[in-house]
Amino acid sequence: MKKINKLPVSSLLCYGYLAILVCIAAFPLFWIFISSIKQPGEIISSISFIPQNPGLHYYIKIFTEMNFQQNLMNSLVTAVGTTAIALLVASHASYGIVRYFNNGRKGRVMTRMLITTYMFPSILLAIPYSVLIGKIGLQNSRLGLILTYLSFSIPFAVWMLIGFFRTVPMEIEESAMVDGASPLKTFYLIALPIVAPGVAATGIYTFINAWNEVLFALILTNSTSKMTAPVYMSSLIGAEILDWGVMMASSMVFVLPSLFFFMLIQKKIAGGLTQGAIK
Amino acid sequence: MKGDDIMKFHQLEKKYNLYGWMFVLPAVMVVFILFIYPVSVSILYSFTNKSILKKDFDFVGIKNYIFIFQSKEYWTTFLRSISWTFLSIIGQLTIGFIAALGLNKIVKSKGLYRTLLIIPWAFPSITIAFSWKWILNGVYGVVNNTLQSMGLINEPIGFLSDPRYVIWTLLFIYTWFGSPLFMVNILAALQTIPKDQYEAAKIDGASAWQSFRNITIRYIRNIIGLLVVLKTVWIFNNFDFIYLLTGGGPASKSTMLPIFIYDMAWNTKKVGVASASALTLLVFLMILVSLYFKLLDRWEGTDDR
Repeated sequence: MKKINKLPVSSLLCYGYLAILVCIAAFPLFWIFISSIKQPGEIISSISFIPQNPGLHYYIKIFTEMNFQQNLMNSLVTAVGTTAIALLVASHASYGIVRYFNNGRKGRVMTRMLITTYMFPSILLAIPYSVLIGKIGLQNSRLGLILTYLSFSIPFAVWMLIGFFRTVPMEIEESAMVDGASPLKTFYLIALPIVAPGVAATGIYTFINAWNEVLFALILTNSTSKMTAPVYMSSLIGAEILDWGVMMASSMVFVLPSLFFFMLIQKKIAGGLTQGAIK
Repeated sequence: MKGDDIMKFHQLEKKYNLYGWMFVLPAVMVVFILFIYPVSVSILYSFTNKSILKKDFDFVGIKNYIFIFQSKEYWTTFLRSISWTFLSIIGQLTIGFIAALGLNKIVKSKGLYRTLLIIPWAFPSITIAFSWKWILNGVYGVVNNTLQSMGLINEPIGFLSDPRYVIWTLLFIYTWFGSPLFMVNILAALQTIPKDQYEAAKIDGASAWQSFRNITIRYIRNIIGLLVVLKTVWIFNNFDFIYLLTGGGPASKSTMLPIFIYDMAWNTKKVGVASASALTLLVFLMILVSLYFKLLDRWEGTDDR
């Protein structure tokens, strides 16, 4: 009798505090959305959770008057370009480390190097990058941004992919090698397809990180039409009169891709972040 | 015959290594171009009076380093960064851990709770900044207006503009953002603990606290250790979170090292000083992380026995 009563009480307690946490976790998203569809007068006069006369006027404003789609496009191209190059380089490198240098001294040096690049403050890199990118004339360009974004996305992708490649059993590849497949062929046709879900998750995470990046984009772009979306949005804070409706609508548009992809890979991320380091 | 075999083995090994390099080489090149070269440039700048505006510069020896080590502002900022990182990790780890324990216990609608609790993690820093600036706004903000209409406060609270509250507000927002990462990873680790361990402990007469300490903590401490290492580096180096929320203000009360360096390079235009400060930051992190890894290695050693 006692046992039957005891279990629900402690679970109930869990449900209770988890519910409180969920409210806090989800409130900003809810509030951005509610605020973005309120009327201009209402947004600054009422904190009601239900808009009196909901409408899409702020969304129309950012896409017609403000040309926000141009900045979104800059963000998209930069993030996709970064992801493609990072995946190409990192999938080869992580496979090489796992298969060819796993137990040796060279492998240790490489993993150490990886961890070291991980510690690099982006503000330290920002200074020489701004000079170098200026020198080769790539300020205000997507290519310049992609180049600098590789500095954080490649080490990160290698880190995550190492964890995924470790799960591939060596025997399958060995039998292919015995059958005369070259190392590259073995990689493309056998190892890579096995970890494809991991590669996809890594790619999405890389995309999100590039999509969200602020510092490099801030120092490497200064013309409004070349700015990525977050840098353009941050310039709105400097305005004399803040248009909160516009800020909320652009926030909503900008958070959605990130949110969508995150939910897609949430199960994969948990392992990927930590497996790369477990020997 | 035997000698031939050894020769053949060495040749195979050489070939094997060559394939390995083929896979790794592009990444090594990228690391060289994107890290080693720029950092060499930074080290060079740190001994010069380089400015963002001018092309020419002169060598000034270790003057920049003397300048920052004698600067009270630098040390204040450094100490603030350390306590900020420490408090942030404590906050995120505690809330993430509690949430993970709760999620591990419940059965019904676990997935829904998990998904909703992850939302903050998916927030880009600009969206974090906009949403919380708006929620905590002194005039139109939902928090201040609610508190005022309930009669709890007479004047709106300047959560992000009052020097007394700004750090605590930032800490709250950063905990909100960072806890899900701890939660998801700790939950994944909790799920790997075999259930029979707890049953065996129960039969041996262990209390709930004892089995929590000896089984739960023992199983997940490596994961937690690693997360703390990663997070220490990320939080210490993070620029955009605070920059977008407060810009380091009010009255420099929320200026951390990366913002200090940014201001030094792009506002004061002293690239030499900024480079020197950034290099001290890197050296500090490298020492800290190697200490962390020593500790983690020791933990792993005790687990084997």
